[in-house]
Amino acid sequence: MSRPVLGRGARTASASVVVLDRDRSLVEAARRDPARFDALYRKYLAQVYSFALYELGDHHAAEDATERVFLRALAALPRFREQARPDDGPEASTFRVWLFRIARNTVANERRARRRRPATSLEAALGAGLAVADPADLEADAVTRDEAGEAIRALRALPDDRRRALTLRFVDEMTTAEIAGVLGRSEGAVRVLIHRALGAVARELGRERGTRVGDHDGEAPPAHDAGTRDARS
Amino acid sequence: MSDEVDALVADRYIDALLAAADRHAVDAPSNAAVDPDVREAARILRASLVRVHPSFRFEERLAGRLADLALSQVRPALAAGGSLVELPPASASILDADPLVGAIIRGELDPTDADAVEAADRLPPTRRPLLVGGAITSAAISLVGVAYVAWRASRPSAQGRSSNRAMARAARAARARRVAAGVSTLVIAGASTAAAVTAGLGGPG
Repeated sequence: MSRPVLGRGARTASASVVVLDRDRSLVEAARRDPARFDALYRKYLAQVYSFALYELGDHHAAEDATERVFLRALAALPRFREQARPDDGPEASTFRVWLFRIARNTVANERRARRRRPATSLEAALGAGLAVADPADLEADAVTRDEAGEAIRALRALPDDRRRALTLRFVDEMTTAEIAGVLGRSEGAVRVLIHRALGAVARELGRERGTRVGDHDGEAPPAHDAGTRDARS
Repeated sequence: MSDEVDALVADRYIDALLAAADRHAVDAPSNAAVDPDVREAARILRASLVRVHPSFRFEERLAGRLADLALSQVRPALAAGGSLVELPPASASILDADPLVGAIIRGELDPTDADAVEAADRLPPTRRPLLVGGAITSAAISLVGVAYVAWRASRPSAQGRSSNRAMARAARAARARRVAAGVSTLVIAGASTAAAVTAGLGGPG
């Protein structure tokens, strides 16, 4: 999230390390000229959109939420204060953490509004021809479709905070410190949150596999097995 | 305490897992200190939870809206006298997309404050302010029209009622003439008048 560089204090006897927000130059440019916000927008679009998609499970809802996040971020940019200094601790607010706080609030409100409406399947949304943002993610092909479906079902079965933490950790590849800033918790609390969430996912995956093995062992033919699992999702 | 230590070890493992993916490493890192089930769950999540990109069409549409919002932020908001405010053309669509943007721009709402955002979202949408710039705008003309209709609706005048009675009398007279002449069907050709249509509505019998 932040890269340590030697600041002016390095010339003194006690060289100090200044943590510089890696987006500082882009943020300052956007403050001088709001049209330059475009660079920050392009940089974080896929991350914010992915977070919204995994949280909402619907392609259109994710687009609406993403739109609001960036409109709000641009509108509030003059009041963004970088606090990426070591003394600020886990609450250190870089631009990305600040942006994802806006995203968390926007998506949470959208989830509340959609509670009475049935959400479409995230698996369907992910399989609807959306482009994968990072070519490195193509390794996901190594994972079977069943495995991916099980993982997504297990993720969506988690309580809100655990699900958000795992999404930010694995999809957006945030550090624990960044997630702590987004969720407003301590780093230690986030680590425990993620660890427990992983345990819950592991149990759910084991249960799913047990159920699947049971289905195969039963009288139902494999063709019906797929339908059964689809219905369960 | 043990829970925190386990969490720390698992956190280090996830760091290594994500770094291995960045290096395009074939094998997942191994750490015997981490529960094998947790390791496997982390591996599957890393491979399954792909980052996705929205459509190009959406990306460009939102980029356009952000450019419009950026333009409105640099444009001087107040016209001379302080009473008339110029509304950039795109602002209406931006406020439609997110009614809270106006409050954020004015510094009345912090979008990172979860409680404030939730409370603001529960409020009924405020009416979009009417902002008139320069001379007469179409919005102002519409305002005149709305005021006129409201005024007419609140005054069902005696003149209107007598006019209706006259129309009814004409319709009855026309029908009586048709019946007397034995005409059962009224054919309206070409540019018929409203009076003829009204007369025809009486119909035979």
